[in-house]
Amino acid sequence: MSSAGAGPRLPRAALARKSRGGAWLGVLLVLLTACGDARRAGPSAADLAAGPWEDVVLAAEGTRVVWRMWRGDPSINAFVDEWVAPRVRDRYGIELIAVEGSGQELVNQLAVERQAEARGASDLLWINGETFHNLRRMDLLDGPWSGSLPNSAAVDSTSPIIARDFEQDPAGFESPWGRVQFALIYDARRTPDPPRSFADLGLWILENPGRFTHDQSFTGITFLKMLMYSLGGGVEAFQGGFDEESYAVASERVWRWVEMRRDAFWRSGLAYPQEVAELHRLFANGEVDFSMSNNENEVITKVRQGTLPSTARPLLLRDGTIANTHFVGIAFNAPNPAGAMLVADFLLSPEAQLQKLRPEVWADGTVLDVDRLDPEWRERFADVADDPRALSRDSLRRYAVPEVAPEYHERLASDWRSRIRDRP
Amino acid sequence: MTTSSRGLLAALIVAAPVLVGITHAMLAAFGLTGLAGIEPGWGRAHAVLTDVTTWRSLAWSLWAAAASTVLAFAGAVLIASLFRSSSRTDALARALATLPLAVPHVAAAFVGLLILGQSGVLARISYAFGWIATPADFPALVYDPAGTAFIMTLAAKELPFLALIAFSLLASETDRLEETARSLGAGPLEVFRHVTFPLLWRGLLPATVAVFVFVFGTYEAAAMLGPSRPTPLPVLAMERYAGASLAQRADAFVLSLLALVLALAAVAAHELLRRRRWEVAG
Repeated sequence: MSSAGAGPRLPRAALARKSRGGAWLGVLLVLLTACGDARRAGPSAADLAAGPWEDVVLAAEGTRVVWRMWRGDPSINAFVDEWVAPRVRDRYGIELIAVEGSGQELVNQLAVERQAEARGASDLLWINGETFHNLRRMDLLDGPWSGSLPNSAAVDSTSPIIARDFEQDPAGFESPWGRVQFALIYDARRTPDPPRSFADLGLWILENPGRFTHDQSFTGITFLKMLMYSLGGGVEAFQGGFDEESYAVASERVWRWVEMRRDAFWRSGLAYPQEVAELHRLFANGEVDFSMSNNENEVITKVRQGTLPSTARPLLLRDGTIANTHFVGIAFNAPNPAGAMLVADFLLSPEAQLQKLRPEVWADGTVLDVDRLDPEWRERFADVADDPRALSRDSLRRYAVPEVAPEYHERLASDWRSRIRDRP
Repeated sequence: MTTSSRGLLAALIVAAPVLVGITHAMLAAFGLTGLAGIEPGWGRAHAVLTDVTTWRSLAWSLWAAAASTVLAFAGAVLIASLFRSSSRTDALARALATLPLAVPHVAAAFVGLLILGQSGVLARISYAFGWIATPADFPALVYDPAGTAFIMTLAAKELPFLALIAFSLLASETDRLEETARSLGAGPLEVFRHVTFPLLWRGLLPATVAVFVFVFGTYEAAAMLGPSRPTPLPVLAMERYAGASLAQRADAFVLSLLALVLALAAVAAHELLRRRRWEVAG
């Protein structure tokens, strides 16, 4: 703005009349309300689910779908950007854009958008467990819709791992797209005879001081949760919703178990890696002898990438290891629910599920009941090259235990910080 | 509209994003955002401010920021005074010293990890020479309560920024004054002590305060290199913000406002110091 004569007259006159404080407040108000009220004009995913599927396909044609997801793994990014995106573009003319955003960050952002009554910036959301719990509690998801997807007919709905998300009923507000199971990672060269139960691991830690730790994020807390199952009488003791008393008794045992071994943890239990990626690095560099992963097959992809040594192997503990399912949901203010539904359906197609399962792609477990597919597809699933590092389906099934109510995870995370980490 | 009110409007536009952020943080800190699961009131602020964890984190972040700033400052002064001539080798040295400016902070933190970690480059060299037998024998510089790796990395990363300013200070205003001091019989050390250094530190002060405030609030390097206990203040705030417990969401904003107060105090202290200097000089 070069001269006083330029520009619209009214706002300047209006501003000049106001006091300084008024002007400040005015600008603030304008900025705060600038996002404005822009509710979705078209039908919601719940509306679409009530109608015929052809209408969804028709409405989705030639649209853009923004998928907010965890972008921390290059193999997953490559699967989404280079395999899924071109296929939904060629088949449905959908432009699929994957952007960063997961966990609580997602909840926080959608909560702010709800307050501001703003038009959503994302359609599809990659979620599960506590994120789903919080999104549902705050009414930030569209639905129910997932039962209307044609490909959902082949989902293995008899599996308790897939039919429940941390004990919650997805109730049509999220659609499954992958299943993983927790495994420890060890190096067969360094540790030829690894411990196979929590009791053995407890002894191993004491006999090999400084060689074990866990991360402070999701994977590490999952490890503590399995320890809680093991010390607290099995997963059954924690099923049926969060129970303060069972938690208090069992978590006390967990902290005692940790405290008794703490000096034998890496760095005498005074420092813990922030993320599991850092734990992988410590393991690969020989600083510790174990890493861990929520996906039993991650060791296969990481060895292929050269991140982990070729002698790295996954390890299940006999006490049971947690298996869970991850889902996609649709934001309450998604600009394009039809497109999101079509992409969610494509993710459930045998074709996409098979590709995702390949060890050279992502090695993410399928949520389909393969026996219900056409013989042609059944064969292809059976043909996925068996990696020597893969755990057998039988032992995976035998040792799989489900997740429990998300509050257990939340409480273990915050109590671990105050009881263990923040205490010398 | 007068010139001064136009200036105010311009300043307001510049400050608006920050003001909106502060307003939101204040509302969120006292649970006034109306989100389910958060109770309005002083409860969380009181809990955070009476929690010893908060003050330990704050003290650590202040220490780490002060230490890296002092190191970066000393390094910048040293390099600028050693390589100040217009010779080709000095010009090359100056160019090399500013090279790390181009490295993003996340990358710098990762390099710090690769060099200073217990399985890093230094540890591997020590192993090759037979000084250590296992990674655990190498001193714990990463994740250590003193923040050694964090301080060294941030000092190395901020040094070029201060050095760049020091180069231009020495190139512009000091030559004549130093010449005068020398002609009055001052030795090289005296010239440095009484002329060069006073001019340098006064000129570097604003940038030094900026470095301190930046390091105090930086997240990536603190998360990658800082200790688990005490948890660096920015990491603690992020942890509460990203944590699943909605009740603790307010904590993150209380912590951020606390950090803001500290940063503003540093800027205010600088302003005060500058005014006093003017009074003395004037």
